[in-house]
Amino acid sequence: MTQNRYFYWLFIMNSLINIINFVPRELMDTRFKGAQTSILAAVVLGTAFVYLFTALMAKFPGKGIQEILDTAFSRVFIIPLMVIFAALWCAAGLITILSFIDITLRFISPDTGPYLVVLGFLVVVFFCARMDSLSLLYGLEVMLGISVPLILYTLFKAVTNPDFSWDAVLQIITYFPHAPDVKSMAAATFSFSGYINMAVFNRVLPKLRLKHRWILGVQGLAVLLLTFYVPIGYFGTVAVERHVYTWFSTADSIGINTFIIERMLFIFYFAYLNLSLTSVIIHWHVGKELLTGLFPSPKNPKSKAKVWRELAILGLFSAVTLILMRLDQYQLNALGIWFLLARWLGELLLIMLLFYCYTVLRRRNP
Amino acid sequence: MPAQQIVEEVSVQWIKEQLDHFADLEERMLTAPSGKAGLLYIKSITDPQIINRSIIAPFYEIDNTQVYSDYLSSYPGSEEGKTGQHALELMLGGYACVHIEGKLCFFDALKAETRSVSENMTESVTQGPSDALTENLAVNLNLIRRRYQSTELKMESMLIGNISRTKVAILYDDSRVNHQVLDELRERLGTLRIDILQASGELEKYIRSDKLRIFPKTIVTERPDRVVFNLAEGKIAVMLDTTGYAILLPVIFNDFFVAMDDKIQLPFVGRFLKLLRITGVAMTLWLPALYVAFTSYNPEIVRVQIALLIAGSRATVPYPSFVEVLIMLVMMEFLTEASLRLPRAIGPTATTVGGLILGQAATAAGLVGNIMIILVSVVAISNFMIPLNMMSFSIRVLKYLFIIAAAALGLVGVVVCLVGFTMYLCSQRSFGQPYFKMFFLDSLGNSGKQKGGGR
Repeated sequence: MTQNRYFYWLFIMNSLINIINFVPRELMDTRFKGAQTSILAAVVLGTAFVYLFTALMAKFPGKGIQEILDTAFSRVFIIPLMVIFAALWCAAGLITILSFIDITLRFISPDTGPYLVVLGFLVVVFFCARMDSLSLLYGLEVMLGISVPLILYTLFKAVTNPDFSWDAVLQIITYFPHAPDVKSMAAATFSFSGYINMAVFNRVLPKLRLKHRWILGVQGLAVLLLTFYVPIGYFGTVAVERHVYTWFSTADSIGINTFIIERMLFIFYFAYLNLSLTSVIIHWHVGKELLTGLFPSPKNPKSKAKVWRELAILGLFSAVTLILMRLDQYQLNALGIWFLLARWLGELLLIMLLFYCYTVLRRRNP
Repeated sequence: MPAQQIVEEVSVQWIKEQLDHFADLEERMLTAPSGKAGLLYIKSITDPQIINRSIIAPFYEIDNTQVYSDYLSSYPGSEEGKTGQHALELMLGGYACVHIEGKLCFFDALKAETRSVSENMTESVTQGPSDALTENLAVNLNLIRRRYQSTELKMESMLIGNISRTKVAILYDDSRVNHQVLDELRERLGTLRIDILQASGELEKYIRSDKLRIFPKTIVTERPDRVVFNLAEGKIAVMLDTTGYAILLPVIFNDFFVAMDDKIQLPFVGRFLKLLRITGVAMTLWLPALYVAFTSYNPEIVRVQIALLIAGSRATVPYPSFVEVLIMLVMMEFLTEASLRLPRAIGPTATTVGGLILGQAATAAGLVGNIMIILVSVVAISNFMIPLNMMSFSIRVLKYLFIIAAAALGLVGVVVCLVGFTMYLCSQRSFGQPYFKMFFLDSLGNSGKQKGGGR
């Protein structure tokens, strides 16, 4: 397998991380009012986005989003755009890290001070996000290699549990025929938005030739359906709304009888901590790359200016995290849902911009 | 090589002046009916037998000084000193200077005192060859050329060190080597300015690109079969005269967990052994940290029986678990370090006193829990499962990082540290090549193309 696989890893990372970014929460809110049709619509839309975006990026091999936009727009227009996109990527990492801190404090170490935990997370993210893009892709691959088997094991145990209520799942399926809800749909497309990281990683993966992109659609559908149905099978159609971190509560309901570790929660937590830290690292790396691209590259290759810029940008991200630590669960939830919607619009905007750049390119050299 | 023309600036007198106060400088005049010849050499580094047989005896046997001069200059290994500096280098390198009728000829008579090929000490295997590289470059090359009989095996040599003048040989398989890496190595060796170079590890330190690092980026080995195996995999071997170790580069993380008898074993056994080693590394890295996390932060993670067992064994321990772990681990490091330096005869005493009595007494006194003793022994033993010493030392140091993280944040700290550790590994490069990633996925798609390496 060649470089292509890294694209799929980025996709899988995002689709697995959705359960931390309040996607199940949003789906559960509308479970009687069209969540399932929203999922279907999200699958169709998400796959279409993936196809469009990768097809457009393939026209600009080895270029990041910055270089592509430079071909068609003036700098005055690009700078605010880049700041907006960087803010979106920063927010993606931010929400993952904030909700994961909340999860950690609630499920794993209630005694540890929240600021100690956030510092621990920020230190590792801070240093890793500065690494070069290719190293991060290697790291992502290793992390998926560790986490995905554990997640699959959790899923297997979850579905084969005799106490899993298939009746509840069947009952919720009867609420299928409803018009899709826009917010739920936007939230569900988060599972598909891993491709958007290619905006920066395209630089290091110049020879991308994607085959079988439909697999992404199938995988996204499977992840979304599991995300939606499994908690309902555990908590019932109504009680499921009482849980903020639906999936962690679900994992906490599963026991392992024949192992040193008794509760599935810890295995699941371990897998997801790995994965979400990696995803924060990657999202902030993209955000950092977008912002550093705005500065002119220093003439002197040994100059420390680049390092200071990176540190300043990541420091800014970290500072925002520390400030937003004060949010309570309601506010965090609201922020998460706001982000899911904003991100979807951002993706739409990015694809339209890319399409415009492509038409400009075509007009220039037909 | 013609030595006919008279070298103007180099005269015997000049050389003798330069080598003033050399008590072991020997000068002889050979006189025969046919003519005269002068002989000048440093006694301590020249072989008297060569001087006798190849220089003095032929002089009296050959009647003609002209023929004798031709004989000397055509003898393999003899050179003419072009400049004064070169002449001095030759003299110090064990050449004898013969001057006949104003012509100077330098004759190779180096006596290299080395031990013979002996059994390897640091990387032993159960079956398979057990000869080790020696301090003599010629012998080492012999060991390798004999195992790698290919025209593609190229060798370049250079001298490094202003004083030590150490011969360095770069070996590589031309058809398999990554030429980018080779150029980078050449450049780094070429720009090296040092006085003394005595050990492979030293050279490794000089040619590294990053100042601060924890993982070895080159393999230092004494096994010729490992050198050959890696040459066939497209790696480059750097060998030094006067040291019994070769440097292999570029390497990847996984290379450090390959023992040479993996290839000898049956496939499943070999895989199993490798898995064993990786498990060992995982245990030595994480067991102490997880112990701290499970006792001090998250006892609810493990089964309740285990949690009670640990708590029971720690009932008398008067300090937090990470102090306990640190005390025992440091004690173990002392033992390992001490038994390395101790004379052979006292070695067993140290182990008995340290390991058995100390461990027993410490638990009896209630300073550490019983489980802690088991854990420390597991950590100590599994640390030495890594076949290559350099990596084993790195891992030994790294586990403290995990313990500190566990002491600060519990399980969360261990996992955060694991993420950072993996990312750090992935960001490393050995001579521009990736150091750690899922390498086996790279070869999955094109399994038809098999790389060399004697599989």
